[in-house]
Amino acid sequence: MSGKAVRQYARMSCAGILLAMLCGIGGCSGSGSGTQPSGKKEPAKKADVVVWHWMSDRDAVFQELAKQYEGQTGQVVDFQLFAPSEAYSNKVRASAQTKTLPDIFGILAETRDFASFIKAGFVENLTPAMEADNSQWKKAFFEKALAMETFVEGNQFNVNPGIYGVPIDVMNIQFFYNKDLFAQAGLDPEKPPLTFEEFIAVGKKLKAANIQGLVSGWSEIWMINCLADNFAWNLMGRDKITATLKGDVPYSDPDWIRVFSLFKEMQDAGVLATGMITMVNKHAEQTFANGKAAIAFNGTWGVNVYRGMNPKLNYGVFLPPKISDKYPVAVWGGAGSSFKINALSAQKEKALQFLRWMTEVPQQKLLADKTMNLPSNKESAADIIPALKQFSAAMEYAVHPSQLPYSEFPRVVEAMGKGIQLIIIGSKTTQELAAELVALKQEEMKRLEAKKAAGK
Amino acid sequence: MRSQMFYRVKRGAFLILAYTVLLAVAAACLFPLLWMFGSALKTQETIFSDFSLFPQQPHWENFVVAWTQANFNTYFWNSVFYTVAVVLGLVLFSSMAAFAFSRLDFPFKNALFLLFVCMMMIPLPGQFVALYVLLTNLNLVNTRLGYILPQIDAGQALAIFLLKTFFDKIPKDLEDSARIDGCNKLGIYRHLALPLAKPAIAVVVIFNCLAVWNEYLLAMLIFSEKKLMPLPRGLMVFQGTHLTEYALLMAGVSITVIPIIVVYLVMQKYIISGITAGAVKG
Repeated sequence: MSGKAVRQYARMSCAGILLAMLCGIGGCSGSGSGTQPSGKKEPAKKADVVVWHWMSDRDAVFQELAKQYEGQTGQVVDFQLFAPSEAYSNKVRASAQTKTLPDIFGILAETRDFASFIKAGFVENLTPAMEADNSQWKKAFFEKALAMETFVEGNQFNVNPGIYGVPIDVMNIQFFYNKDLFAQAGLDPEKPPLTFEEFIAVGKKLKAANIQGLVSGWSEIWMINCLADNFAWNLMGRDKITATLKGDVPYSDPDWIRVFSLFKEMQDAGVLATGMITMVNKHAEQTFANGKAAIAFNGTWGVNVYRGMNPKLNYGVFLPPKISDKYPVAVWGGAGSSFKINALSAQKEKALQFLRWMTEVPQQKLLADKTMNLPSNKESAADIIPALKQFSAAMEYAVHPSQLPYSEFPRVVEAMGKGIQLIIIGSKTTQELAAELVALKQEEMKRLEAKKAAGK
Repeated sequence: MRSQMFYRVKRGAFLILAYTVLLAVAAACLFPLLWMFGSALKTQETIFSDFSLFPQQPHWENFVVAWTQANFNTYFWNSVFYTVAVVLGLVLFSSMAAFAFSRLDFPFKNALFLLFVCMMMIPLPGQFVALYVLLTNLNLVNTRLGYILPQIDAGQALAIFLLKTFFDKIPKDLEDSARIDGCNKLGIYRHLALPLAKPAIAVVVIFNCLAVWNEYLLAMLIFSEKKLMPLPRGLMVFQGTHLTEYALLMAGVSITVIPIIVVYLVMQKYIISGITAGAVKG
């Protein structure tokens, strides 16, 4: 072999070795993980409990709580943030496949997926712990928040009845209003509308004063459906809505037509801001925070968002306007964020102790003060800022589709949201939407029957 | 004389039109960068009320705050390391594979090449669960190697495709003359094919630098320890579930784009020189 060839091989080998070293060293240096709870490697500083979460705005408080807990108990809790939520969900699903979920984690998915995790044996049933000592822990929570974590006897997902999650905060969606703009339009800033008629009258006055009315993220179907649900619960009550979901009451029922027509009335009266149905919630929040719209339909998180965007914003909160006296006013809400305990974890007991501590009043108060989220422990809600207090008080009116024994088909839910959008812009009538929903519902029910029959 | 004038005016008008279009395109490309930089100098409140491109009271400290709050000290160097390692590995392996597909004869060559090309159709996120299972079994979850290898693998298909097409165009005569000069297959690859493929390699480097530098989803999947995470993890600090700290986020993004702009400018020179060199050679 010539000297030239030898040099050439030597250079190539060096490059290869350099690359291998680069990768190899990196591989070694990164392997000191403490993050695989059922893991194969020893952590540098061993955590007693590992928590995976996606809440980037709460991470700093979680770390603070973990330090406090370590100081009080000597137990090390390692909060690991994986955001955004899509990346987090990917990680949780992949980890479930390899049975490497952490001791505590959250599930960002529909009830159906939550049920799948439980049935696969990944989520611990917390009922015994919740009901111990005369249900002391269970009683500390808002009832509606815990309902979101509970599967009742005979549930449609065939999950063993029980409580499978610990809510760490709660949320509901109401109306925020700008007191200064109300005064500018000649309205009493301390008297927000209580009934739908008053709401329409407010909208007309705002329009007359050349002030944009209601803003909300109604390009996102779920937000438009929230308000439709509120109206429906107030007008029909739980039983009739359940009957609708079951298929016993059609969407062509006059009460449903009335629900759809309320959106048309709002549009005709000029209550809705320009471009409502293409508005994303971020834009709606920005518009309201800048004082360019008088009313916003938004969730509890709005308190934190508006504080960040415009700390001087002078606003109040009011419940969805009453449509009927027959049933109570309803607000869409329930659990905000919750944690589950890994049923396969060797540290289940420690995880349970930590979550119990985390949902006690002082810790919940700290979470509420620092993050402006509504605490899940109802006792800690007594000492929070006024706007949050109003949200907290409304938790008794909170309703959520998952509280019902039946759930609506996703296609029907989507069609309803889109249909309401079309009603607002005048491209569809309430009757047309009702007929479309009836047809879709029948189609889906037939498909379900056929599936069941094939299953048998 | 008159016609000369006519052509001069015509040419002038054409140049004005061409430069106007080019300036408009350049402005459209630069505006987001300028907006990002301007926003990085505002506060969380003024970002929603001050719509000027450059604020009257610039907050230069946002860059320092972003760097420290986002822990860029760690993430920045992690990203540099991952980008260098992935791009080095990718260029080495893909150029060798592309040379083999282009210049060597072996059974099922075309079928294997097609398989590689098919890999371009499968995006990395689509492989996440399978990849996680594989890496867990190989004990590579939460290691740097476990993050680098899948990215080298993910970039192979396009890189091999680009480089093979380039190697195919190298005249056989050049290869023969190299052989007469005493080069074996590896020598031809090292002394002939690789230098001629500089423009294609520059494209591979730019594409992959950008992809690796901005990669985040795979990092979230593979890493659990913060100290191993790449740069985009730092930016997440400013993005709450409902509230985003836009000014700091823009300051953070401004910091992250600087290295990639530098790489682009450096590599762009190679692409242009490669193209012009090829043109002269005819």
